[in-house]
Amino acid sequence: MSVYRLQYRAYTGKVTPLWMRILVIARYGFNEAWSSKITVGLFILSLLPTLVFLVIIYLSNNPMARALVGAGSSGLAVNARFFLVVLQIQSWLALVLASWVAPRLMGFDLADNALPILLSHPISRFGYVLGKFVALFGSLSLVTWVPILILVLDQSYSSPVPWAASNFRVIAGMIAGSLIWIAFLSVLCLAVSSWVKWRVVATGAIFAAVFVPSGVGAIVSEVLRTRWGFLLNVPYMMSVLWQRLLGAPEVFGKWDLPTPAILVMLALACLAGVAMLNKRVRAREVVRG
Amino acid sequence: MGIIELNGLTVELGGRTVLDGLTGELQGRAIGLLGPNGAGKSTLINTLLGFHLPTRGTARVFGLDAHRDRAQIRGGVGYMPENDSFIGNMSGVRFVRYMAELAGLPAEMALERAHEALFYVGLGEVRYRKVNTYSLGMKQLIKLAQALAHGPKLLILDEPTNGLDPMARQRMIQLIGEIRKEGSVRLLISSHLLRDIDEVCDEVLILKGGRIAALCNIEAERRSNRSFIELETVGATDRFSTSVSTLGCECASFPGGRIKLVLPEHVEARDLYVIAAEQGVQIRRMNQRRDSLEDIFLRAMGNMPATPTETERPAHVRL
Repeated sequence: MSVYRLQYRAYTGKVTPLWMRILVIARYGFNEAWSSKITVGLFILSLLPTLVFLVIIYLSNNPMARALVGAGSSGLAVNARFFLVVLQIQSWLALVLASWVAPRLMGFDLADNALPILLSHPISRFGYVLGKFVALFGSLSLVTWVPILILVLDQSYSSPVPWAASNFRVIAGMIAGSLIWIAFLSVLCLAVSSWVKWRVVATGAIFAAVFVPSGVGAIVSEVLRTRWGFLLNVPYMMSVLWQRLLGAPEVFGKWDLPTPAILVMLALACLAGVAMLNKRVRAREVVRG
Repeated sequence: MGIIELNGLTVELGGRTVLDGLTGELQGRAIGLLGPNGAGKSTLINTLLGFHLPTRGTARVFGLDAHRDRAQIRGGVGYMPENDSFIGNMSGVRFVRYMAELAGLPAEMALERAHEALFYVGLGEVRYRKVNTYSLGMKQLIKLAQALAHGPKLLILDEPTNGLDPMARQRMIQLIGEIRKEGSVRLLISSHLLRDIDEVCDEVLILKGGRIAALCNIEAERRSNRSFIELETVGATDRFSTSVSTLGCECASFPGGRIKLVLPEHVEARDLYVIAAEQGVQIRRMNQRRDSLEDIFLRAMGNMPATPTETERPAHVRL
């Protein structure tokens, strides 16, 4: 082909390796997600708490500044409890961002039936989902473990004593807790978005998928007087998990859940998400009968 | 080696046999895929693209197994699906570039080829508009552009003229004809419209009920039937048939003095009159005709039998 001669011309140049196609999906997905002003707005909103935490870290490490603003030293300790609050706030902001971004990643492809064309190229269904997963995981990283890491670096730099070495568990726990949460969130949000064509409805469905089972779990626990109903309560499970990962003091008494049970429950939820994606992400639907 | 080789290909979907033991080799430059609704055309295309796993048998494209080597096949195939299939939120050029990158082109080359492909199909002026603002004809053309952008070896077009007005249809047929003429791309075109296939294809595969009803080279078929003649005679028909057969004609006699024959190149219609005059046979009617694709299709569908049926069994057949 040539723009000037308007003739068909075969392509004889080099071809990228197959694994690069996953990155193509991820790159276009990332662009699509961040082309929205609402995404940018949510991102800025998600960074506001980080700014507040940076100020707190500065104050906690600078007695003169603390004296100037009239703050006492008791409430400004930068420890596991402080970073647990950081992690919780950033993680729930990540849920808000994911509920907006994931439907954009899947919705445009589903609304106009793009899957037959997309999957007729040399990319597998797994590769397609993995590309979308990378795009969402990357977006959520920007509001979870990346700002947390910035706070850790700031605290390590500002602290008069070697802070990072003595708080290694807190740092590792935060990174692990963030990664588990955004991986779970990415699978869940992509799965829900793949089943709902309308993006606004998909956003609502994502919140419902997180919070409705919590209510059901609470009812189960109350009626049957058992702690296992809380395995349906994602916010509760994650809070327990984050506390244990960071080594922060636990505040849960009789409704304590074992860590392996929480991990198994999260893994099962992810498997259900993968099954939903496997059912939905197809070039062709087969009608039975 | 053919472009597409089918060897006992059987595909069952949802407990139903959609393709039933297809065997054949397609080697034309432009292959038409014909058949009524539910014949299995789209299923065959989907199987060639590796979307469906054959229940039995194999399908090979350019010698590669359609399921096992599907990534390799898809790299060399451009596919234009029947229904709307695009990302409406993207501009035309971005969409085509995206598809070209997925096919394996580096980003810069994909952008260049996307522009070229859009100009080539006639969407150059609207390439920065979002795809969901395109008309139906434009949407068909952008599907063709994305199928062409990466320079495939095989272009699979599923109902390319679906929903197009006569002008747009003519433009689409013209484009397909140009691509065929260029020679580096083989075409597989599925259509309900015999006219479309007739205009651009040199080979046709006709499916009926998931089976192959006909697989033929259209040009060769026409050439072989160019001297197909039907006669209505009165007199010693059997003796006349025998004499005509000695000239090298394929000949079949039917009750009522009807004779069907295919003349070899060295025999002319005049020779038949000479033999008839010698034997005192009257030729009441002579119908000489050339098979159209419609004839081939109807025959394959069973509405116009290629060989005489039970009710029309020839009294005398000589080949």
